[in-house]
Formats: sequence, structure tokens, C-alpha cells
Amino acid sequence: MALTTVPDPTRRGTGSARAHAPHGVAGRIRQSEGLAGYVFLSPWLIGLMAITAIPMLLSLYLSFTNYDILTPFSEVEWVGFANYERMFTSDPSYWHAVRVTLTFALVAVPLKLAAALGVALLLNRAWRGVGLFRSLFYLPSLLGGSVALAIVWVNMFNRDGAFNSMLALFGIEGKPWVNDPDWALETLMVLAIWQFGAPMVIFLAGLKQVPTELYEAASVDGAGRWRQFRAVTLPMLSPVIFFNLVLETINGFQGFTAAFVLSNGTGGPVDSTLMYTLNLYIKGFTDLEMGYASAMAWVFLIAIGVITAVFFSTGRFWVHYSDGEDR
Amino acid sequence: MHPATPPTAGAPAGRSHRTPRRRLLRGLVALAVAAPLVLGAAACGDDDSAGDDGKVKLSIFWWGGEARAKLTEDALALYTKKNPNVTFEKTWQANQGYFDKLATLTAGGNPPDIFQIDDNYLAEYAARNTTLDLTSYSDSGKLDVSKFPKSLWQYGVVDGKLAGLAAGENTQGLVYNKTLLTKNGLPEPTTGMTWEEHIAWAEQVAKKTKIPGTMDPSADYKAFWVWLRQQGKDMYKGTELGFTVEDVTKWFELWKGARDRGATPTPDVIHEGNATDITKQLVVTGKAGTSWVWVNQMPELKKNTKDELGVVAYPGDPSAQWARASMYWSVFKGSKHKDIAVDVLNFLANDPEAVKILGTDRGLPSNLDLRRVVSDDTTDPAMKQSIAVETELAQKFGQSPQVPIKGHSKVRAELIKAAEEAQYGRLAPAAAAALFMDACKSAIA
Repeated sequence: MALTTVPDPTRRGTGSARAHAPHGVAGRIRQSEGLAGYVFLSPWLIGLMAITAIPMLLSLYLSFTNYDILTPFSEVEWVGFANYERMFTSDPSYWHAVRVTLTFALVAVPLKLAAALGVALLLNRAWRGVGLFRSLFYLPSLLGGSVALAIVWVNMFNRDGAFNSMLALFGIEGKPWVNDPDWALETLMVLAIWQFGAPMVIFLAGLKQVPTELYEAASVDGAGRWRQFRAVTLPMLSPVIFFNLVLETINGFQGFTAAFVLSNGTGGPVDSTLMYTLNLYIKGFTDLEMGYASAMAWVFLIAIGVITAVFFSTGRFWVHYSDGEDR
Repeated sequence: MHPATPPTAGAPAGRSHRTPRRRLLRGLVALAVAAPLVLGAAACGDDDSAGDDGKVKLSIFWWGGEARAKLTEDALALYTKKNPNVTFEKTWQANQGYFDKLATLTAGGNPPDIFQIDDNYLAEYAARNTTLDLTSYSDSGKLDVSKFPKSLWQYGVVDGKLAGLAAGENTQGLVYNKTLLTKNGLPEPTTGMTWEEHIAWAEQVAKKTKIPGTMDPSADYKAFWVWLRQQGKDMYKGTELGFTVEDVTKWFELWKGARDRGATPTPDVIHEGNATDITKQLVVTGKAGTSWVWVNQMPELKKNTKDELGVVAYPGDPSAQWARASMYWSVFKGSKHKDIAVDVLNFLANDPEAVKILGTDRGLPSNLDLRRVVSDDTTDPAMKQSIAVETELAQKFGQSPQVPIKGHSKVRAELIKAAEEAQYGRLAPAAAAALFMDACKSAIA
């Protein structure tokens, strides 16, 4: 797993074997190799600079200005912390969007991970045709943040959509889910949870890594299924859970496409799907307040950074890295 | 990457005798990978090839459907035929996302020479000096607006500058499902009905047909605007709002009454109507008896339904309506070919053949002489009807209001939010109105 950033000198195997090559003649060769390496990297480096780093720094600068897209850069005015002040003091829609995003992430992420782990456990058996099921469950997440999928979703959860027709079979009267401010966000959550394929595959890979001896030893000790799950599976899987948790939380906060499609880019009905990123987009491109939108983006970046840092700092209390020596 | 090996330029040259072939090979491969990228980037910066041979390529950008694209391309081809040294780089797309794209193009320093714009954004662009001031051209006659109704071309003036040339004229129109009404023996709505009468009529339709008689337009700025003008108010006065919180409350209460009487659809269906584009208006999806649109959209609506449609003015005194520029053509202030671009605008508005090609797709032709010719030639019954209604209404039009001010698009979005709060019953009309006023104040600040 790529996320094992905790330095552990005793680790072998997954780390780069060449990381500590001796110096001397080999060092000189490595130096020229280093140059070639940079040249090989240059497409990516140029891309990183041109497409990521420079625009990012520019947006940091813009966040202190009143840039409105249409005005040329040369006429942009420096406004100090005014954009940041406005966000925290006089923009109710900002805090509304924060609430919507937190609600979305707090509900959708844990449920998505639970679904992913649950299905991964079911699919971690040697059934006939289990491969087919693995593919089928993975399929929705392949469609990822696609616009087409969001459109299908909106039509399914309309007043006269497929979901309500199904409910009608059981004599239940449905709601206009996507057009009801009390349910639109929940509809988006269900969509996000349904796309649990990616974490599921990672969980599956993690489950395959758990040595069967541990289960054998546990069952010799008289541990039942549930006890085995808690005492063996969960601790052994904790790095993978951690990885999925961090990734899915970041994904959850950044949800945009489905909300954009569902609300025609407005965050409606009545701002119920006004996710942070959608609000940012509206401010930047519809209201032409790109300076303010840039400030929002930087606060967002910092907030996600803080949340991730909190995960990492709590990680050492519950994430168990086996060193894999016995493999 | 090892930090101790910075790629200093001198280092490799000094060791060129070491494993030269392998290094050469490596270098070549690396170059092969990197070169297309660098060259590709260089190629991007060099697209301004106009000039030396007298050939000019103008970029032009508009929103609309395929029918509009076809008409516009034909009209531009005609211009190229008459002026062989001028060609066009045409870009068009659906309305949704159009203004995002236009803003991004402008930000990238690469805006089109000519672009379509509407009164929603005209002031935003004019206030930021993105649009060319056409006043001197219209004074010199290079841009001829003498055949335009005065109020129409003046609806393109922002802060004393002619920021856009009206590409067509339209006005508010209430489109109703004629088939539904005749089938049920119900009367058709008429121009001049009061708002109360309209709602009572809609209630009657709902009782008889089980289809709500009218879409609830309380979130619709153009209906609100007409209603305001009938109360002696306006949307904007100078740089201020032209209405008070009491006006908004009264407007929201009017429609709360209509909803309570069952004259309108349920809030979720109203929301659909608020959020959707022209092809899914409730009158064509069969979810309401009438939709609140622009008169010139009638033919477009007709394409999406088998039912017969009719169109009248919005309720109340029709003199509150005005000859609105459905959209404008504007020229980018930084265009390298301003004079030619203005000439194209003049051609699209005043050349008899071009106007004939363009028809009424962007509204009634602005040039009154040519409007008559076009309406005589029209065979599409829906278009004939919309022309007839608008021509008849034109007799009653009042004075045009000022072009909506900077921040108008935000005001529109806020009206939808506040009205929906009331429609879903989450806020009382007065509370929703107060919310709207607050939001407006920061929107136009």
C-alpha cells in the first residue's frame, strides 16, 4: 500500500531496494542518471509547473485581490484580507455550503466505507463466479464522477422516476427526491455510497494479505467469526482502512459533478445541494468573483489539510502496521 | 530523486568520455519524449496569422441550438461571399455554460471578436470595458440603427455607451396549451386579464383538467418585473433596486394564494420549471397549462409538443411590457479588427438577405422595414402567431426600462432561492421577501 509513510527501518520488500546505494564510482553514474531522470521527468515537471504549481500560486495571489475574470490582471486591485474577512463574517451562503459539505461527508464517507468493507468481506471467499461479482460491484465506481451517471440518477429519483415506480409496487408513495430540498442531498449521498467499488477493491486486496495462520490460530483459541473479525481482520486491515478513510474523506469534500448536474449548476433546490466546490464555482464563474473564489479555494485546501493531519495524528492509536517479516 | 545530484549544466559535459553511447542514447530518448511537449506548447502561442495578405479571420461566438447555428452560419457565409477577404471562426454551444466559457475566454486574453450576449450580462461586461462602445459607429452611420425602434437600440446603452446591438426584439409572452383548453371547453386567456383573473382561470383549468392551469412564476424575474412596472415600480432605478420589501412580499403572497387554491403545480414541479431550459417548460411537458416565457420562444416550444399552443401578454396592463432586446451582438474592445467586426454587425442587422436568412430565431428582426418583409414571408404557423402577437403588443408597449445593472444575474439567482423558500413552504412570504432584499443588497453592492 502506497500510504505506509511511517518510516520504519526494519521494513523490507515494499521499499525501494536502491534507496541507499553506496557512493563513489556508482555515485557518479547515478549523477548522470539523475540528469537523464530529470529529462525523462520533464514532461511531467513542465506539466506540474504550468498546470498546477504556477496557477496555484497565482490563485493565492488572486485571493488577496478583487479579480473578476473580465478585468485584465494589470488592473486588478489588492484588497488584503477582505475576501477572507467576507467569508468568515458576512457571507451566509458560505457557511451554508460548509454545513452542506460537512453533512454530506460525515454521512456518505462512513457509509461508503462500511458498504465497501462489507461487500469486500463477502467477496473474499472462493465462490464460483466471485470474479464476476467483484467486477459488477466495481462497475459503478468506474463510471466515477461522470455526468451521464448523474443525469441517470436524477431521472431515477424524480417524482415519476424508476425508484418511485418500484416503491409503488409496494404501495408506497414516493417523493420527488431530487426536487425536494429535504431529500436532494440524501439522493446525492446514496449515489456516492453506491460507488463504493474503488475502496472495495482496495479492501479486498488488503484482506488477501491477512495471513490465514492468524485465523487458524484464532479459531484454535476458540474465537468465533465476530471475534476473529475484531481481533484479526480489523487490526490487520487498519492501514488499508486508514488509507481508504483519508482518500474517501478528501473525495467526499470535493464532490461536485453530481451536485452540479442535479441542480443545473445552482445548488438548488433552495441551496440544499450547494456543496463547497459548487459554491466556489458559482462565485468564480457565474458571479465573476474570482478573487473571492480563490480565497475560498485556499481556505478549503487548508481545511482539508487540517482534517487529513488530524487523521494522521490519530492514526497511531488505531492503525497497526505489521512489518511483514513473517511473510 | 536524490537531493545530492542537482542537474548542473556543466557536470555532464565534463564527463562526456564516460559511457558516451549509452548517455547519447538516453539523451535522445529523453529528447524524443520531451520535444513534442515543448513544440506543442510553442505552437499554441502562434495563432494570430491575420494581416499581411489582407485576409481577416474574425472569431464569433454565440449560444443556441442547431437551427440557430445553421442560420447564423449561412448568414456569415453570405458575408464572406460579399467580402471574400473576411472569414469566420465560428463557435457555438448551448446556453448552459456559455457565459462561463465567455468569461474564461476573456480571462485568457482570447475573447472572440464578436459575441452574443444578453441583458443578464451586458452591464457586467460593459462596466468592465470588455465591450466596444459602438456609439461613434452609429453616429457615423457605419452601424445603422435608424430603422430600429428607438427604445430597442437604446436598450443596449449602458452608462451612456452603446455596448451591444440588439440582435432581435422580443417581449414577455404567456404560452398556453390550446388543445387542452378546447378539449375541455375552457376559455383561452386573453391579453389584459388581471393577475387575479389569471389565477382564477388557472384554478378553473386545474379543477376541470387535473392539470394545474399555470406555472408559478414567482421565481421568474421577468414576470416579477412586469408586475412591478404595473405597480409603478421597476426592477432598478439608477444603481439601486426599484422596489421595496413590501412589493416583494405582495408578489410572493399573490402566488402563495394561487398555490393554495391549486392553480399551480406542486413545489417540486415548479422547481423543475424554474431550473429547466426552454425545451422542458411545463407547458410542453404537460405539467402545467401555461408557461411564462418570451414571445419569440413560442416556435421553439411548439417543436417539443404535439398540442396546439397559444400566446398572449403577461397578465395586467400590457403597457408594462417593452421592446426588449432578446440578445445583443457585442464587439470585443481589444479586437484587432474592430471596424470589420462592426461592419459584420451592421450586415447581420440591416442586410435584407442576411435578415431573411436569420428570420425570427433571435427575436423579431430589429430593422422595422425588414421585419415586415420577414413576417410576410414566414410560413411556420407558430412563428406567424408569435410575430402577430408581438406586432400587436408593440402598439401598447411602454417605455423601456434601463438595462439591468451589474449584479443582475445574482439578483435573478437570489429571487429563485427566495421564491422557492416560499414555494416549498419553508418560509412565509414576508420572511422570504426579507431574505431576498438582504441578498439583493449585497448582490448589487
